[in-house]
Amino acid sequence: MASGNSQADGRALAAALRQADPKLSRFDPLPRIITFDDFDKGFCGWTQLVGNYEHSLDSMLPGYAQHSMAMLSTLPQWDFGSHGSFDGTYALKLASKPRKAAQNVTVKRLTFRKRGPLRLEFYFTFKPEATELRLSEADVRSIGFLYDLQTGDADADGARIMPHMRFLNALDGEHVQKWQFKRRTTEVKPIGNENKTISHYHLAPEDWEDLAAGEQKLCYNEIPTKINWHYVCFDFDLETMQATGFRCNDRVFDMSGFEPIRMPAMRNLWCMLNLAFFVETDVDKRAALYLDSVCISGDF
Amino acid sequence: MLVQSQAAVIARNETWSGTVATEPHEAGWAREAIFFVRALHDAAGAPGTAQVELSPDGMRWVPEGTVFDLPRRADEVTFARVAHFGTWLRLSATLPDGASAVVLVTLHLKG
Repeated sequence: MASGNSQADGRALAAALRQADPKLSRFDPLPRIITFDDFDKGFCGWTQLVGNYEHSLDSMLPGYAQHSMAMLSTLPQWDFGSHGSFDGTYALKLASKPRKAAQNVTVKRLTFRKRGPLRLEFYFTFKPEATELRLSEADVRSIGFLYDLQTGDADADGARIMPHMRFLNALDGEHVQKWQFKRRTTEVKPIGNENKTISHYHLAPEDWEDLAAGEQKLCYNEIPTKINWHYVCFDFDLETMQATGFRCNDRVFDMSGFEPIRMPAMRNLWCMLNLAFFVETDVDKRAALYLDSVCISGDF
Repeated sequence: MLVQSQAAVIARNETWSGTVATEPHEAGWAREAIFFVRALHDAAGAPGTAQVELSPDGMRWVPEGTVFDLPRRADEVTFARVAHFGTWLRLSATLPDGASAVVLVTLHLKG
């Protein structure tokens, strides 16, 4: 067993090594890196969020049926070519269909080892498909992320917890630009007839609430094909199941009013640690969210 | 280093009739691709063929030259192999009047 001092020395050494690594030094991870997803290495476990079904795909809720696979993208543009990613060739691209309010979701499915502090950091950008020679800054409705969590099977406080955050960029043509969260989901519906599968569409447009002082103007650039990368850090404590911190670029937000979606524990989801990103379009045009890179870390 | 590989479902439980196309799929990292089309139910009428399309920008599409039959019976699978396709891929089809098919389309990429 390491003494307190040697443990502190070890952490300081690990932090120094990470700061000396150009790929990691733009992150501030907690002591244990759970995943570090640099999309020059591939898809890194990011897949399509398929909806639940039983016996027939027809039983899938429509919100999920629209989802498709994320892609590895060089952010290619018709007017100058590949933009490239933050620090290499490829970023993860999540694109909606070209229909107003269409959404897409990509998910990474893990379980947790310890209920304690969890830090999510990622760099992101978003753009509409450049089908028009105009700025189009209000064409992407929102981008966001969520955890889908459930306590361990031996925990006394069994629950499923789903913290949601989104940047509402635009709504019905208005360039809104603010962070929101969600504490309610849609009605849970049984799927099929075996009483084993249910579904609920937690990304329904209802019930988003404004984060306190959550307005933020992000760098969009000056034509629809130029992008800039943004940094997000979201802290969540798996012990208390409460958000403990959120920042985007130079802004640190007050999370005291934040609440996740809470619902009864489900029979097959113990220790679940799913992370998802989503994108939504505000017009009949594809919207895309790009990620490069994503780092999840914990204190254990 | 192992090559990258991905199986992507690009159309799931979609009913195709008239002129249809899958969403633009960016796969510049891949050297080869296979499109599989699986019929989830028996087709209505004769669904005809699908064609592979390429694009310089994900918005403007041209035929790649590969054309193959759409499946007609439930669980029948048809496919086409493609290589040297640039950055973008999609599958399109124009079904004859009165024909329709419910399909699951998968794209298998390697590079």
